[in-house]
Amino acid sequence: MSLRTPIWLFVNLVQPLVWLLLFSRVFERMVDLPGFTSDSYLQFFAPGVIIMTVLFGSAWTGMNMIQDMDLGILDKMLATPVTRVSIVLGQVFGSVSTLVVQALLIFLIAWIMGVDIATGFPGVLLTVVIVTMLGLGFAGFSNGLAIVMKPPDPLIAFISFITMPLKFLSYAMVPSDLLPGWIQVAKTFNPVSHSVESVRSLVIVGYEWNVIIPDLLILGGIATLMVLWATFMFRFRTI
Amino acid sequence: MDEPERANDSIAVKDLVKVYKGGVRAVDGVSFEVKAGELFAFLGPNGAGKSTTIKIITTLLKPTSGTAEVLGMDVKIHSARVRSSIGYAAQEVGIDENATGRENLVLYGHFYRLDGKTIRRRSDELLELMDLTEESGRQVATYSGGMRKRLDLAISIIHQPQVLILDEPTVGLDPQTRGHIGDYIRNLVQELGITVLFTTHYMDEADKLSDRIAIIDHGRIITSGTPQELKDEISGDVVSLTLTTDGASTSDGVLDSSREMLRHQPFVREIQEIDGDLNVYVEKGETDLPRILRVMDGNGLTVQTISLSRPTLDDVFLKYTGRTMRDEEGQRTTWARMQRDVRRRK
Ligand SMILES: Nc1ncnc2c1ncn2[C@@H]1O[C@H](COP(=O)(O)OP(=O)(O)OP(=O)(O)O)[C@@H](O)[C@H]1O
Ligand SMILES: [Mg+2]
Repeated sequence: MSLRTPIWLFVNLVQPLVWLLLFSRVFERMVDLPGFTSDSYLQFFAPGVIIMTVLFGSAWTGMNMIQDMDLGILDKMLATPVTRVSIVLGQVFGSVSTLVVQALLIFLIAWIMGVDIATGFPGVLLTVVIVTMLGLGFAGFSNGLAIVMKPPDPLIAFISFITMPLKFLSYAMVPSDLLPGWIQVAKTFNPVSHSVESVRSLVIVGYEWNVIIPDLLILGGIATLMVLWATFMFRFRTI
Repeated sequence: MDEPERANDSIAVKDLVKVYKGGVRAVDGVSFEVKAGELFAFLGPNGAGKSTTIKIITTLLKPTSGTAEVLGMDVKIHSARVRSSIGYAAQEVGIDENATGRENLVLYGHFYRLDGKTIRRRSDELLELMDLTEESGRQVATYSGGMRKRLDLAISIIHQPQVLILDEPTVGLDPQTRGHIGDYIRNLVQELGITVLFTTHYMDEADKLSDRIAIIDHGRIITSGTPQELKDEISGDVVSLTLTTDGASTSDGVLDSSREMLRHQPFVREIQEIDGDLNVYVEKGETDLPRILRVMDGNGLTVQTISLSRPTLDDVFLKYTGRTMRDEEGQRTTWARMQRDVRRRK
């Protein structure tokens, strides 16, 4: 059940590709609805797929921590002079780096499928920054939770619970104008919608700094908080 | 006051107690010292508290009370320094399965802050020493249990620690591989002069390998000393008797009367009953064995098999606890019975 095993890396990459290929056909006509800023659904949907991949991948990284605890891998590391902080940061940053590479691959494939990136290569770099922060936020949260909960079942239930609504509330699928008002309020507090919003802007519109900068600040804040939370829980649970 | 005395000890554990959440008293007042350059065995049945003690010494677990020192450093206060000076291989091999053997070694080399050149040189040496050179480029997932244990051992000494702590280095391996690992450990002590504390529940291993042994049961050390000292505590020999033919269980009446009869003989020191067999501890087996037979015959009690053996550590454990360690492991076979079976097969 580890995200590090090749089969999971594969599944985690294939799934978004299926979304890209399938949903972009199914919802092709959606762009005729008012509120869409793009006239290609693929253009609109690709940023959502990238963000979802990073979101799912990072939310589950706590499972790696649990597995390492079970297999004695963690204990073995804890018996060396490596600082506790670098162990937990290694776990979090390690899994996020894999996910960023995946995000880039999806971006590349989307581009081959015909997605125009309004901001070009610099936009891709900014996207890397955005998904890194999103990933750190969720991986930090998930790892901290893993340390608190230890047995995997509650963690699985909890992560499934939070990732589901986060996904739907996040207008990854449709523009916010088409969503009911309460969801629009909820999305203000949702890191997923902030990342989708800015990546979508980079792909479709260009540098909308008035959108991107606040999103970056919020994502950076959440990432910092969550990595601190994981580190704190780890320091608290180990000697 | 006793500091100068203990300065020679690589490991000093005093009045250690560990109560787990939920109330299990896993370690219940353990004290022992391991001298520099010593090969020290921690022997005990499953659940005795060996791993718990080890985890406290390796800074992985906080003791409920008591102290543990490694090279004079308290494990709670100087945990970072303790970690740098010990090597540790846990009971469960905690190695990244997706990486190769060499990659794991290199990773731990970095954990111990060795430079790249040193890591490369020592990895080569250790892979050679552990007979893993050929497999070093393969994923650990493809390794056998024995290969993993050897790799784990290599990892635990990549930084040339002064003190090496091994929790069941041979558990779950076949006797031949166990013997190999034992040889590796002996070599390490002889060549590098390091101190080794290892746990085991194999009597013969503790006996052969270690300079000194502490026997632990239910979280307490029941006795300690050199293997010879321990066996000498059981002066004399052990005569094992089977009273019935295979399969049939000895009736309590026969057992009791045999015991009663033998107990009153002046040459008998102690009698233990294991699974319907009797272990009679006597002064001098060669002359006392025929005497036992005569007493039994004279009272109309039939002896099916009889054997004579020098005391083993198992007898030491038996003497202190009234049980055999093998019973604890859920195997009904006692040492005496195994000896008998071997004799039958001949
Ligand atoms: N994390 C834990 N929480 C609660 N109880 C524990 C925990 N770890 C061990 N125990 C209990 O503490 C006791 C001692 O366990 P320990 O692992 O130290 O024994 P051991 O001598 O190493 O046994 P083995 O030969 O099976 O490895 C056992 O009764 C065990 O069930
Ligand atoms: Mg153990």
